[in-house]
Amino acid sequence: MNETNLKSIIEQVIRELNVADEPSKANVSACPLNETTCDVPEITAYEMENYFEVPSAENKDAYLNYKKSTHARVGIWRAGPRYTTQTMLRFRADHAVAQDAVFTDVSDELIEKYGWLKLQTAVTNKDEYLTRPDLGRIIDDESIALLKAKAKASPRVQIYISDGLSSTAIEANGYDTYKAMEQGLKSHGIEVGTPFFVKYGRVPAMDHVSELLGAEVTVILIGERPGLATGESMSCYMIYKGKVGNPESLRTVVSNIHKNGTPAVEAGAHIADIIKRILSEQKSGVDLKL
Amino acid sequence: MKESMISVGIDIGTSTTQLVFCKMIIENTASAWTVPTVKIVDKEVLFRSDIYFTPLKSSDVIDAEAVKQLVLKIYEQAQMQPEAVDTGAVIITGETARKENAKEVLEMLSGLAGDFVVATAGPDLEGILAGKGSGACAYSKAHSCTVMNFDIGGGTTNVAIYKNGDVIDAACYDIGGRLIKVDKQGKIDYLSEKVKALSAKMALPLVIGQMADVKDLKRITDTMAEVMVSIAERRNGAHIDLPSAQEILITNHDLKTFDPIEAVFFSGGVADCMIETTKPWHTYGDIGFLLGESIRIAFEKTKVKAVHADETIRATVIGAGTHTTDISGSTIHYDRALLPIQNIPIIRLTELEEKSDSKARVEAITSRVKWFISQSDQSLMALSLRGHKSYGFDALQALASDIVKGMRAVIEAKLPLIILVDQDLAKSLGLSIRGNLSPEYPVICIDSVSVDNGDYIDIGVPVADGQVVPVIIKTLLFGY
Amino acid sequence: MRLKTSLFGQVYTFGSVKEVLAKANEEKSGDKLAGIAAETVTERVAAKEVLSHLTLEDLYNNPVVPYEEDEVTRIIYDDLNRVIYNEIKDFTVGEFREWLLDDHVTGDMIKRISRGLTSEMVAAVTKLMSNLDLVYAASKIRITAHCNTTIGEEGILGFRLQPNHTTDNLDGIMVSLMEGLTYGIGDAVIGLNPVNDTVESVYNVLKMFDEFKRKWEIPTQQCVLAHVTTQMEAIKKGAPSDMIFQSIAGSQKGNEAFGITADMLQEARELVLKQGTSAGPNVMYFETGQGSELSSDAHHGADQVTMEARCYGFAKRYQPFLVNTVVGFIGPEYLYDSKQVIRAGLEDHFMGKLTGIPMGVDACYTNHMKADQNDIENLAVLLSAAGCNYFMGVPAGDDIMLNYQCTGYHEAQTLRSLLKLKPIKAFEVWMEKMEFVKEGKLTNRAGDASVFMK
Repeated sequence: MNETNLKSIIEQVIRELNVADEPSKANVSACPLNETTCDVPEITAYEMENYFEVPSAENKDAYLNYKKSTHARVGIWRAGPRYTTQTMLRFRADHAVAQDAVFTDVSDELIEKYGWLKLQTAVTNKDEYLTRPDLGRIIDDESIALLKAKAKASPRVQIYISDGLSSTAIEANGYDTYKAMEQGLKSHGIEVGTPFFVKYGRVPAMDHVSELLGAEVTVILIGERPGLATGESMSCYMIYKGKVGNPESLRTVVSNIHKNGTPAVEAGAHIADIIKRILSEQKSGVDLKL
Repeated sequence: MKESMISVGIDIGTSTTQLVFCKMIIENTASAWTVPTVKIVDKEVLFRSDIYFTPLKSSDVIDAEAVKQLVLKIYEQAQMQPEAVDTGAVIITGETARKENAKEVLEMLSGLAGDFVVATAGPDLEGILAGKGSGACAYSKAHSCTVMNFDIGGGTTNVAIYKNGDVIDAACYDIGGRLIKVDKQGKIDYLSEKVKALSAKMALPLVIGQMADVKDLKRITDTMAEVMVSIAERRNGAHIDLPSAQEILITNHDLKTFDPIEAVFFSGGVADCMIETTKPWHTYGDIGFLLGESIRIAFEKTKVKAVHADETIRATVIGAGTHTTDISGSTIHYDRALLPIQNIPIIRLTELEEKSDSKARVEAITSRVKWFISQSDQSLMALSLRGHKSYGFDALQALASDIVKGMRAVIEAKLPLIILVDQDLAKSLGLSIRGNLSPEYPVICIDSVSVDNGDYIDIGVPVADGQVVPVIIKTLLFGY
Repeated sequence: MRLKTSLFGQVYTFGSVKEVLAKANEEKSGDKLAGIAAETVTERVAAKEVLSHLTLEDLYNNPVVPYEEDEVTRIIYDDLNRVIYNEIKDFTVGEFREWLLDDHVTGDMIKRISRGLTSEMVAAVTKLMSNLDLVYAASKIRITAHCNTTIGEEGILGFRLQPNHTTDNLDGIMVSLMEGLTYGIGDAVIGLNPVNDTVESVYNVLKMFDEFKRKWEIPTQQCVLAHVTTQMEAIKKGAPSDMIFQSIAGSQKGNEAFGITADMLQEARELVLKQGTSAGPNVMYFETGQGSELSSDAHHGADQVTMEARCYGFAKRYQPFLVNTVVGFIGPEYLYDSKQVIRAGLEDHFMGKLTGIPMGVDACYTNHMKADQNDIENLAVLLSAAGCNYFMGVPAGDDIMLNYQCTGYHEAQTLRSLLKLKPIKAFEVWMEKMEFVKEGKLTNRAGDASVFMK
C-alpha cells in the first residue's frame, strides 16, 4: 500500500512544483572571474526527470508523472525547431563527461590507496586500446612477472578491477563493489585472491588472468561504454575456470552497476551470492540458471 | 522465471459477505544481465463467491462462528485449501467495523484463511480498495485525470480520489441503502443514528414501527444524493438546502483536497440499484432502490461525467484480494526461520538524524527505541531508514555499526533486528549489520518499501526462489 | 584482367580482386584491424586505379565469398536478371561510375540496371565515388515501398520514432512516443529496441502501440525490434505487428552469428503477410552496419564496404519496407572517427539505393568514438540532400537504452524546412489535423506530449 502514503505524495508534488517553478534560465549571473566557486545554478545539477520546460502544457501534472518513469530528455521544449540553449548545453556537458570517462585514466593515487597491484595489458596507449581490441585481451610480460611474484596463486576466487571503456565507472564504484563482494564471500567462508588493477583491459583479458593464476572463479569489474548521462556504469563478469578463447556465453554478467542503476554495494552483495552459486554448481554463463 | 501467489479477499459488510480468490503473477522484469527486479506483473481473479447476507446474532453483533462456517463453505466451493493461500486481506466494512465483536471475527478468520492473511479494516482503506476494484484508479492513470470513486454500500459510502493512478484523498459518509430498513408492509424497522439526526433536522416524521411515507424517504435519499453531487463538484455542500447535511453525514472526516473531478465511478451494492427498474422500491426491505434512483437523477443533472465501473458490488473485495499485498525489493537479507512475521510497528528516523554524525545517529536511534518501548511496553519493532543511492562501502559499515549500537535494547531483549530501507541497499546493509553481531543473530533487512512512523508491517514467506518477500503495510495515515 | 598499375614510377601489384576491393577502400580502422587495408595513401589510389579498369564481369566472376560456400552469395546471384547483366557486363567500374553520374541517366534507368548488379559491383563503384558523388548519384534514385503508408517518395523525409527505455517501462516508452509524434517523428515507423527479448515484452509493447495508434488514428506502422524468432512467436500469439525486424550481415557465417538463416527470414515474411496487421506488401525491416562481419569473424578476408553491400543484396530478396545502416554504433575499431562515420553513412546510403532497397540511415555515434553531435548533424544534412528515406528520432538525440547518440526529435522539422522536405503525406495530413503543424511550421502544441494524455 505504498501509494496510500499521502504525505509523501504531497511532499513530492511540492518538491516537483518547486523544481518546475524554479526560474531555470533567469537570474543566471556570471561568476566573478577570479573566483573558483560561485552560486550560479549548475546546468548539470538537476536530474532529467525533474527538468520541465514546456510552457502552458495541456496537462502538466500528468506530464511530470510520466516523466518520473524515464531519463529520456522529454519535456524540454524548443527554440523554433531547434533545442533551447539550456538543453543544448546540458547535452554537450553530458557528452563531455562521457568522453572524459573513456579518454582519461583511473588515477594512480586511487589504485595505490586501495592497495591494488598495478598491471597492464599489451596495449600501450588509449588510442591503441580503442582500435586494437585484440591487444586488450593479453596481460603484458612485466605484469605477468608481477602477478607471479606478488599475487596469491590458485585462489578459489580471483577478483580484479579494470578500466575498460570508463575510468569514471571504476573510480565511482570499483572499491565499494569490491569490498561488498569480499564481505559477502567472507560471510560464506570463501577466500579471495590478491586484488589488482589492469589498465587498458578488455573483458576477455580475464581468461588470460584465469590461466595465469589458476583461479577457480575469475571475476572482473570493468567500466562499461558510457552513455550520455551514465558514464559511471560498471559491469561484473564471472567465469568458472576460464581459458583463453572460451566462448562469451560462458560468462555470467551483472551490468548497470552505478548509483542510478544497482548501487555499488548492493551489487557487490548480490554478486557474492552468484559467485557462491558458480562455485557450488561448477559452471558459469548460460549453463548457470540464476 | 514466473510464478504466482494466491491471494484471498474477504469482505464482511454491514449487510453482505463475499470472498474472492486472486492469482498474482510475479516475474523478474529485469534483463538477464542485470540484478533481478521481481515485480507483480499481473493479477487475475480466480473465483468470485456468491454474495451472502452477513450472519448476525443481533443487529449489533456478528455471528463469528456462522461467518467462519460460511467462509469455510466458500473455500470448499472454490476448491481452495487454506494452506494454498499465500496472502490476502479480511475486511470488515461499513457500520459493522464499529461493532463490538469485529476484532474477534477478524482474529478467527486470520487463523483460518491461510498462513499469511491479514485482518484489516477502516473506511478510508476500504474506499481506496473499492476504487481499485472498480477500475477508477486504473482509469485515472489511463486517461491522466482525477477520478472519484463512490462505493455505496449498506451503511456507508466510501469516497476515494485518484489522480494519474495515485490515490490522493479518501473519506467516508453515512450514506447507504440499509440505513433505513422496512418490513414487507413498508413499516419502518430500523433507522440509523445519523438518519435520525438528519430527519430531525429536516422535520420529517420517520419513526420506527410506523408506516413510511415514500415521499419522506425520498427526501432523505435525495438529500444524500445531493450531498454526493456536492462532494463530486467539490462545493462543500454550498448548494444544498440543508448545508449541515453533509456535516451530519461525515463518518470520520471530510475530504482534504480540492482538485476538480473529471470522472466519477459508482461501486457497491447501491450502484446496482441505480438502473431503472419496475421492482417495488422496498424489494430488499431497505431504501437501496430509492437511493439508487436519487443518485442517478441527481448526477444526470450535473456535468460530472459518470464512467461505468468494471465491478460494482464486488469492487471492495476484489480490491482487497488484489491490492493489499506488495513485494519487497529483490536483493534483501533475512533469516528464513523468522518469517512470516506480523504487525511489526515501525519507527523511522528523520532525514536529518540519518545524515548526522555517528554519535548523534546512535543517540537518535537509541532515544527512539527507548521512547517506543516506554509507550508500548514492547521491544519488537522495525527501524525504517531512507538510505541514499550512492552509499559507499565504508559509510555503510558506519551506518550498520550505528544501527546495532542504537538498537541495543532490542538486541538485549533477544528480538530480531528488522530494518526497512527505502533505497536499494538491503542486502549489503543486512550483511554489514550481521558483521557486527554473532553469525546466528536473527536479522531481517528489506528494501523498496515505503513506510512511516506509526505504520505496521507484515512480512510474508519468501517467494520467487527466495528473492523477495510479500509485504503488507498497514498505514495509519488516513486515520484508522 | 589487370591487377597491376604504376603511380609516379612505382609499380603496385595486387593478388586478387578481393585485395583490390579492400585496398581501394577509403580509410577505415576496421580494414586496418582486419589487416587488409592499403599500406599507404598512394597504394590506396593505385588500387582505385586498378579497380576503375576492372569490368563488371570481372567482379561477377570474383565474388568475395564463393557461391558454393555461402547462401548470401547464392541469393544475390540467383536473383540476378541475366538479360540486364549481359547488357552491362563489359562496363569498366570507371565507366559505370560516369554512367551513373551522367545527366541523361535517370533514376528509373538506374533502377533497371540495379537488377543486373551483384553487391561486389555496387561496392566497387562506391569506392570510386567522392562524398559529393555519393550524394549526387543517390539523389537520383528513389526507392519506394508500402506497408501501411508509402515511404521513399520524392520530397519526403521520414523519421522512425525510437522510444527506447532502459527497462522497457511502458509509461517511459509512452511519454517518448507521445512527444515524438508532436514533433513529426514516427511517419516511417514506431519501432522500439526492447531490453528484454521476450515474447511477452514484445507482445505488451506492440499491443500498447496498436491501441494508441488506433485511438489517435495515426497513419503509420509499428514494430518491436526483438530477434526475429521472438517476434514470430509474439505474432503467433496475436501480437499486432505491422512488420518484422532483423539485423543482418553480408555472409552466411555473419547471419549465423545473429542466429538467423535465409529460410528463417522467408518464413518470417510469410508469417507477417498472413498474420501481421499491415496492408503490405513490404513487411520487413533490416538493420546493418559496416564492420559487423569482422566483429563475428565472418568477413572472409573482405573489406567492410563490400560486406555491407552484400547485406543489401541479401535484404533485397525479402522486399523490405525499411533498411538502415546503424552507421556509427559499432565503435572506433571499425570506424575510427567522425570522418570515417560520415563517409560510411554516405557509402551505405548510396549502395542501398543502387541495390534497389528503400534506404534509411541511423546517423549516430558512441561515446568512445571521436565524434560529436555536430558531425551527426552534418551527416544528416548531406543524407537529406541525397534523398535518404528516413532517419531515427530519439528525445534530444540521446538514446538512454542503447547508450549512443543519433538524430533527435528536433532534427525532423529543421531538416524538412531547411531542404523543403515533408513527412509521409498521410502522416502530414494527420499532423495538421492534430494541429502540430500549420502552414509548414510547428505550432505551440508541438513539443507538448500532454496533448495525448487524456
